[in-house]
Amino acid sequence: MKNKAFSFINIIGLAIGISVCLIIILFVYDELSYDRFNKKADQIVRVTFGGKLGGEVMKEAVVMAPVAQTLMQDYPEVLDATRLVKNNPTKISYKEKTFDNEITCAVDLNFFSVFTLPFVKGDPKTALVEPNSVVITEETARKYFGDEDPMGKVIEFKTYNATKKVTGIIKKIPANSHFHFDFFASMADVQAAKSTSFLYGSFYTYLVLQKGYDYKKLQAKLPQVAEKYMGPQLMQAMGINMQEFRKKGNDIGLYLQPLTDIHLRSDFTVNLEPGGDLRYVYIFGAIALFMLLIACINFINLSTAGASKRAKEVGIRKVLGSLNAELIRQFLFESILLAMIALVIGLALVKMALPFFNHLANKNLTLQILGNPFILLVLVAFGLLVGILAGSYPAFFLSSFKPVAALKSKFISKSKSISLRSGLVVFQFFISVMLIIGTSVVYRQLNYIQNKKLGFDRDQVLVLRNSGVLGDKEAILKEQLRNDPRVVNVSRSGYLPVKSNYNNMTLTFPDGNNLLSRRTNIYQVDEQYIPTLGMQMVEGRNFSKDFPTDSSAVIVNETLAKIYGWGNRAVGHNLDLSTGNNGGYKGLRVIGIVKDFNFKSLHEEIGPVMMVLQQSSGLIVKAKGKDISGLISSIKSKWATFNVDEPFNYSFLDEDYKTQYISESKTGTILGIFSTMTIFVACLGLFGLVMFTSEQRRKEIGIRKALGASVAGIVNLLSIDFLKLVLVAVVLATPVAWWAMNKWLMDFAYRIDISWWMFVLAAVTALLIALFTVSFQAIKAAIANPVKSLSTE
Amino acid sequence: MIKITDLEKIYRTEEVETIALNKLSIEVKEGEFVAVMGPSGCGKSTLLNIFGLLDDPDGGSFVFNGIEVAHFNERKRADMRKHNIGFVFQSFNLIDELTVYENVELPLIYTGVKSAERKEMVEKVLDKMKIMHRRNHYPQQLSGGQQQRVAVARAVVNNPKLILADEPTGNLDSANGGEVMELLTDLNEQGTTIIMVTHSEHDAKFSHRIIRMLDGQTVTENILI
Repeated sequence: MKNKAFSFINIIGLAIGISVCLIIILFVYDELSYDRFNKKADQIVRVTFGGKLGGEVMKEAVVMAPVAQTLMQDYPEVLDATRLVKNNPTKISYKEKTFDNEITCAVDLNFFSVFTLPFVKGDPKTALVEPNSVVITEETARKYFGDEDPMGKVIEFKTYNATKKVTGIIKKIPANSHFHFDFFASMADVQAAKSTSFLYGSFYTYLVLQKGYDYKKLQAKLPQVAEKYMGPQLMQAMGINMQEFRKKGNDIGLYLQPLTDIHLRSDFTVNLEPGGDLRYVYIFGAIALFMLLIACINFINLSTAGASKRAKEVGIRKVLGSLNAELIRQFLFESILLAMIALVIGLALVKMALPFFNHLANKNLTLQILGNPFILLVLVAFGLLVGILAGSYPAFFLSSFKPVAALKSKFISKSKSISLRSGLVVFQFFISVMLIIGTSVVYRQLNYIQNKKLGFDRDQVLVLRNSGVLGDKEAILKEQLRNDPRVVNVSRSGYLPVKSNYNNMTLTFPDGNNLLSRRTNIYQVDEQYIPTLGMQMVEGRNFSKDFPTDSSAVIVNETLAKIYGWGNRAVGHNLDLSTGNNGGYKGLRVIGIVKDFNFKSLHEEIGPVMMVLQQSSGLIVKAKGKDISGLISSIKSKWATFNVDEPFNYSFLDEDYKTQYISESKTGTILGIFSTMTIFVACLGLFGLVMFTSEQRRKEIGIRKALGASVAGIVNLLSIDFLKLVLVAVVLATPVAWWAMNKWLMDFAYRIDISWWMFVLAAVTALLIALFTVSFQAIKAAIANPVKSLSTE
Repeated sequence: MIKITDLEKIYRTEEVETIALNKLSIEVKEGEFVAVMGPSGCGKSTLLNIFGLLDDPDGGSFVFNGIEVAHFNERKRADMRKHNIGFVFQSFNLIDELTVYENVELPLIYTGVKSAERKEMVEKVLDKMKIMHRRNHYPQQLSGGQQQRVAVARAVVNNPKLILADEPTGNLDSANGGEVMELLTDLNEQGTTIIMVTHSEHDAKFSHRIIRMLDGQTVTENILI
């Protein structure tokens, strides 16, 4: 009976370890495989923009319109260059079918020669030659056209007041691509694409380099491009040449990024899709490795321990005539069999868990790689290896004994195997403690982010992003809402600190001093903006209708005031905006400082912000009281009275905020799950070991009980040794975990402090878990009837 | 000192029910040296376990030193046991990881004797058993006879009123065996009650009274003095 339980624990532990490891491997493999479906993946690089301006470090994944063509002209190692520009969410219709918020873009006509997106209908080489053409995905075709053939049909891009003809249909874009669009329109229709500016632009630009060419060689030549093309335009806009510009510690330039690096190594402020995070790939990879190690160590440990129980069996077999070789074969075979069973169970566990994991991680992982014979071979080899490792100690050690010694169980080797086993327990709990600390820090940081005061109110704030379609009537709706008793205030602006509609920046400088310029975020707001969002003034006052001169006034945030050296006394200073004309500028008078608020991800420090009184559409409604749903339906009916095509649409600011961190919170959950599993497997190992040890010490326990030991005393006796090991693990793990967590947190501009009690808590948790695990078996052994243990053969 | 009346002990597995002790009645007076004999499986070890409060009977009465203990729970039995009874086993049952000194000390630790007093008692009894010079050695380093002397030392260190010996000379040669029987006889002459299970007619002659058992019951009682 005991043997069955023992084997069961053994197999389950290894199976869980294998399954967790496999899932992580699938995940990591997927993350590392982004964009590799492109045939030319190794030759494609993306051109990015980098620079320093007045102390601000800029990194953007978009560059200016003429860059693609220019690089192809000037450098023969660039075989091809193509651009993509992202549109705003577009409203599209075909006949009576209309859909809002379609994800659309425009691309150069050679886009499909650079990227491998197979065509189902149409010719990739010519699909976008004509103006006003569009290529759509199969799914989209079905959505708009049903069973009709979409080719040649005309659809309306209502948001842009344009019509486009369908000239090609492509297969669904693979999940592991760094971009996903449903509509690819031709770049020929995009006015901005013809721009010759080398200072402004939002074009994703990709180059195809010669096969085998090292992109770094080309990147080394790019500063010349900056001087040749950006220099003169810089002189025009700011009145200084590149050299002076650079002497002041500023810089602007172009850089190259390999296509296959995009998904995991992009930390640009503007990007097509949020990418993965290389750090998480490393972390999960490490967990996979540890998990596997722990599971295998357990398996070997327990098998070895369990084998010494079979000494008597070995003795009897020998007495009955078994040869050494036969015994060795028997043990090895049994061990390999167990390992293989664990492998199969592990695979089954993966199959069951994969849908859940996919949902959590937003992925589409499958066990397809098992179809690859090489992978299957690796798995089988792995099972064999673990089985052999686990089986060889008992196989060779036990079978070498003289039968009599084995029968009398007098051989049980003590010191060497005990210290090996102890070392392994320490290692397992070292990992577990690190995971406990790691997970709790991650959770606390996530919690902190979710609940941090951002400098503006985000509860009960309703956002109507598309109220611009109401045209003049938008102002009317605003006044209507202001009169509603359930509303505190309403502001009209499309600028939001969370998921803003706009992300506008402009070059500013203080009091005519154009040597100190910084890119500054612009917020176009009205007089109600600051109070509606509950922002605080640090100095001066908000905009007010009482002051008509406020049309040339500006409110800055604390960061901007600090950067320009105004400290807390900004009122009265001038904030100047570059007009882009030979160093010319226009000035705005500072009337107040608003307290800093977070408007970017908490990974970054707060940047400089300026607010001006200018019209921009969008309504922000601060509600009060409990009848929010009543308020919403009332707004809905008011909306209907305006008779516009657009349906009424709203969101809550705090939910918008949460979605920013959804991926982080999901990662936290995944981390938590993996950590729990790893700790569980470590405990399983500990459990098995205690079971074994109490078995082994059965006689001693019986003697002690006969001599009067209490149950508590016996439990103590059995547990103390293990708890000491866990304590050692805790002491070793604490400094390592502290270092690792600090490193991870440094990535957040706003973060929690790691306090000492977190480590104490983790230590106590680990000890409690160990105690819990150990006590099951210890108590069982302690209350066993001593008579049974004391009776001799 | 000990009086059992109609004592029953039944071992049950899923399929088989074995009656180990079948309504047994025995009385042992203080200061007696009693030997229990019988073929294998007659229940003598079971009887000894019950006497030693290591196991509880399924029926009948067991009065130990005037107290009815048949229904005592484990804790009470342990308590009674450690203050009153010493054990000597056939296979010595010493703890291999502890030294001779530590082995003998163990019962004192469980009865809460303070460290200084323990030292005195242990050394006294080690001396008496002539095993003092080996006090820092481990059981594996001793001969069979020496191990049994240690076991006896452990059994008497607490000055128990009753010693239960289960085939004490079973694993010893005749010279060592004789030594152990002498030790037991000495202890008995100093007032300790001894109940000994044995196969050896020779050893049984050291006792005052022989109780023979068969199939869980007494068959004859020979009084030898």
